Amino acid sequence: MKHEVKDVGDSVVIAFEGDVDLQTSPKAREALLATVGQGKPVVVDLAKVGYIDSSGVASLVEALQAAKKGGQTLALAAVSEGALRVLKLARLDAVFAIHASVDDAV
Amino acid sequence: MSNAPALNIRDAAAEDARRFQANLELLAEMSQDFAASRDLDAALLKAVGHITDSVNAEGGALFLLDEQGENLRCHACVGATEITGLVIAADKGIVGRSVQNNLGEIVRDVSKDPNFFGGVDEKTGYTTKSILCAPLTVKDGRIGAIELINKRGGDGLFNPDDLHFLEALAASAALAILNARQADALLEQERIKRELELAREIQSSLLPRQPGDDAPIGGVNQPAREVSGDFFDHFPLEDGRICFCLGDVSGKGVNAALLMAKTASLYRCLGKAILSPGRLLALVNREICETAARGMFVTMVGGIYDPRTGVVTLSNAGHEPALLLTPDGDFQAFEAEGPPLGILADPPTKDGYPETAIDLKGGSLWIFTDGVTEGYVDDAGTELGVDGVKRILLETRGRTLRARLDAVVGVIKPGEGGMRDDVTLLGVTDTAAVRPAALAAAERGGGGSESIMSMRLPARADRLRVIRHAVRAALDFLDCEHEMTEQVILAVDEACQNVVRHAYGGRADGEIAVELRRDGDDFVVELQDFAAPVDTDRVKGRDLDDIKPGGLGVHLIHEIMDDVQFVTPPAGVGNLLQLRKRLNIKAGAS
Repeated sequence: MKHEVKDVGDSVVIAFEGDVDLQTSPKAREALLATVGQGKPVVVDLAKVGYIDSSGVASLVEALQAAKKGGQTLALAAVSEGALRVLKLARLDAVFAIHASVDDAV
Repeated sequence: MSNAPALNIRDAAAEDARRFQANLELLAEMSQDFAASRDLDAALLKAVGHITDSVNAEGGALFLLDEQGENLRCHACVGATEITGLVIAADKGIVGRSVQNNLGEIVRDVSKDPNFFGGVDEKTGYTTKSILCAPLTVKDGRIGAIELINKRGGDGLFNPDDLHFLEALAASAALAILNARQADALLEQERIKRELELAREIQSSLLPRQPGDDAPIGGVNQPAREVSGDFFDHFPLEDGRICFCLGDVSGKGVNAALLMAKTASLYRCLGKAILSPGRLLALVNREICETAARGMFVTMVGGIYDPRTGVVTLSNAGHEPALLLTPDGDFQAFEAEGPPLGILADPPTKDGYPETAIDLKGGSLWIFTDGVTEGYVDDAGTELGVDGVKRILLETRGRTLRARLDAVVGVIKPGEGGMRDDVTLLGVTDTAAVRPAALAAAERGGGGSESIMSMRLPARADRLRVIRHAVRAALDFLDCEHEMTEQVILAVDEACQNVVRHAYGGRADGEIAVELRRDGDDFVVELQDFAAPVDTDRVKGRDLDDIKPGGLGVHLIHEIMDDVQFVTPPAGVGNLLQLRKRLNIKAGAS
């Protein structure tokens, strides 16, 4: 799993690529929380996440909670089929603001 | 003056009647007093008061011999001087002489008696003039003596009639004291018996429960008395192995039972952290050496059995040899390689007691105390012996562990006074069923159940990707439809995560066995770990309203799969989770 963080307009976009599973989710969590820590609106790009498990989803939830605490927004963008499947199974698809693309989200 | 003798006779008769009455009252009173209070000294004090008044003396004291018969101690005293608690040698003074000769004495004038001990008078300023002393005796048993001082009125001197009367009273008092002591002893025996029964209950609760039919390790313990100096134990370790021990504390009875409780507790507590029997025995040894009573020791065998490999790691501290019975019917004995525990604080080697690795290869290992081999098998006193044990183990091959343990212990006959010694036996059986579920399942085959893939891999996060690929490959092989494939991969991944995260408690060397199977129209996944059993009630879905990291995985598994359940692992070792899902075949696939 890799990730990339860049500023787009007023927002900061963090893009993941690869599998977010038990082995890699600690890194994903760390990156997400650091990004939220910048204090800007956050967009999480999940276009290239082939697989995400419950630990990855838990990291997203934790980041969302941290953002809300800081009065920020955290949106998901370009959610891959695999990631959307897990969010739906976990009934968390309604909890997140989900956008079709990063451009729509920022 | 002619009627004076008649008057004397009447007086004498009246005096006899009074004295007879006093004697009866004394007996009744003492018995009642003791029965009411269970306090012998209080009853004695009332008795001395009664006797002193009856004989019309100024003071009285009652002395009892101590258990060794060496000293006389004053247990009760009335009158001008208080000497309760005074201890004198059993042959000293007028009291001592009376006890030694078992004869009553009258010393009309103490100033003329060389045995008179004047120390008390000197201290108290009281003047002893005359002493009356009678032994307390029942048959030939000497209990003590009662001494009266100074007759009231007149010249203060006693007469022979007084002595006869005192002797009669003393005989009654002695009987009452003996009765009270026997009643006390009986009560004490009852109390001890009740406490021993309680101790036995507690002690048997320290032993493991009876093994199930498929358990690889089990034992049996029959105490010779209420409590036992023998013990055995076995308990699962987090890595799936089973730790066991058997020990024999020197001696029998309560002190042995207490050391047994201590040793067994130390072994069990330390055994969960120290995964080496030799080091474990060395630690227990040091504790016992530091604190155990002098002269007591423990012979003990400690071991760890690995159901996956069939290997026992054994360490023997001064105990009878452990017996290996091979599948071919041969026996091999494993002798002690170190002294019993509690003798030398320093272990035999720097790593503790020496260890031996024994590959059971489907055989069994037996450890027992000398109560087994030295037990009588008939009324003529024939001992079972090691050969007898071997014969029974050979005869009972193929039967359950429980049945074999019972068979050995069952031939030992209790003698007239009960068992001669504590009888304790422990068995470790290496059954074929103790191999991983995946392998066993692969062999089961048939019956519409077909293994697709079976693997065993380290229970580590970086292997989850391997498992996901394997599940995908298996489902592709079965032409499973895309959405179901993706979901089942997620469910299996989540289930494996639980093993990686929880089952081994952070240990890095745990393993997971994965079996992927087609069972009729179902896709079946079996995951086995070799860790301590989980509390299945704790593994349940979470309330989705409570969105927090963790716990979500179990919800996903239940959401995706048709059936999720823990089933009994083949060897009763570890946890076996079975996931089942009706296959959804791709359109167009055959």
